Amino acid sequence: MLIETDVLVIGAGPAGSSTAKHAALNGSDVIVIDKKSEIGAPKRCAEGVSKEGLKKLKIEPSNRWVIKELSGVRMIAPDGTSVWLNEEKVKLPEAGYILERKVFDKHMAMDAARAGAKIMVKTLAKGIRREDDHLVTTLETMGEEFEVKAKIVVGADGPESRMGRFLGLKTTLKPKNMESCAQFEMVNVKMEDPDSIEFYFGSVAPGGYAWIFPKGDDIANVGLGILTTETDKSAYDHLLEFVKNNPSTQNAQPVELNVGGDPVGGMLKELVTDNFMLVGDAASQVNPLTGGGIITAMEAGVYAGEVAAAAIKDGDYSAKKLSKYQERCEENIGVKFKRDLKVKDYLQSLSDEELNSIADAFHDIELDTINTAELIKQLIKVSPKALLKLGKLF
Amino acid sequence: MIIMKVNEWCMYCGECAGVCSRSLIEVRENSLKFDKKKCKECTICIQVCPVQALAKEE
Repeated sequence: MLIETDVLVIGAGPAGSSTAKHAALNGSDVIVIDKKSEIGAPKRCAEGVSKEGLKKLKIEPSNRWVIKELSGVRMIAPDGTSVWLNEEKVKLPEAGYILERKVFDKHMAMDAARAGAKIMVKTLAKGIRREDDHLVTTLETMGEEFEVKAKIVVGADGPESRMGRFLGLKTTLKPKNMESCAQFEMVNVKMEDPDSIEFYFGSVAPGGYAWIFPKGDDIANVGLGILTTETDKSAYDHLLEFVKNNPSTQNAQPVELNVGGDPVGGMLKELVTDNFMLVGDAASQVNPLTGGGIITAMEAGVYAGEVAAAAIKDGDYSAKKLSKYQERCEENIGVKFKRDLKVKDYLQSLSDEELNSIADAFHDIELDTINTAELIKQLIKVSPKALLKLGKLF
Repeated sequence: MIIMKVNEWCMYCGECAGVCSRSLIEVRENSLKFDKKKCKECTICIQVCPVQALAKEE
């Protein structure tokens, strides 16, 4: 069996569905496949997005998939000292809403379908080859192999992406650029403020951080990401320890376990080749500092969909034509990531003692009364190396 | 020859496939497929697994 289409999207997460929707809206024939039997499940993330991000994407929040609205952030140093931020004072990254990802991902796929895309679930991409001016992808569903001949293929196949590699793009991730994450969804969680998300820094999660993201009532996502280059223990073992020692979760019970990799090394350098584009986690379109990637994946999906549809209209699927997508990503996503990478490097270089003294200096500061420059000045007082690592950025 | 053992508690998250420099791991919804013949035993896949589901079997 051979199916022909303009655009084939591999993966129906937020990146793939957004790409499919926007390619279809702009007139392309689109097929989206996902290897799973249920789009969005199991979730692989902590489910936080910024309100501003959704607004920018013109996606109206729905009470079907926004499960919790947040107003603040609590950052906790290893000795328990907290720094509180709230919405009025600081823009909160990945922190405005907590989603129910299983529902959200499905709804984004439904939007793609309503725009005209065809969806195939439980369908795996096994290989890809070039044939004349097309790509032929071998797919498998329910034990049956078939091929799709597409003018453009979009790899939205997650951090484990192989589609790009088959075509010569360097998508293999180094362990130092891949957070290893584990998370429980828990009940009986007792938070100091159930309207704030919590970030725990230091040796509780070497090379990353731990989080508690409230989902309403006494329910929360409790998880962490670590770099396996920084610890001998697995993410899961670190999680068990965190849950046992944290006062908020000592009596909490898990109802779900999620694991996965989070590509935090900054956006990949090459996102396109002839007839092919990478989006979302497959392109490392994840904020390297927060590890959040839902909004950027969907933003990149808008660019990818529009560029793909324009290429189809012009009958030109060359890397040169598709590089417009890469340009838009670099301009709107990549530049900010480069700055956040430096902040991440600085954060990761701090010992528990340094984190404690920074939190101590900031925990009762009125953040709304000082600007960024003042903030950095204060930071440098307690952490002189901030000058070296961050001074040029602000 | 190395044989990668995928333990029963594997959750098919694909982190191993993401770091395999030779692209030898195919992640399905409920299974992992290794191309064992081309494996050079770098064991990066074993190191990054969030739940220690992978092991080397001589």
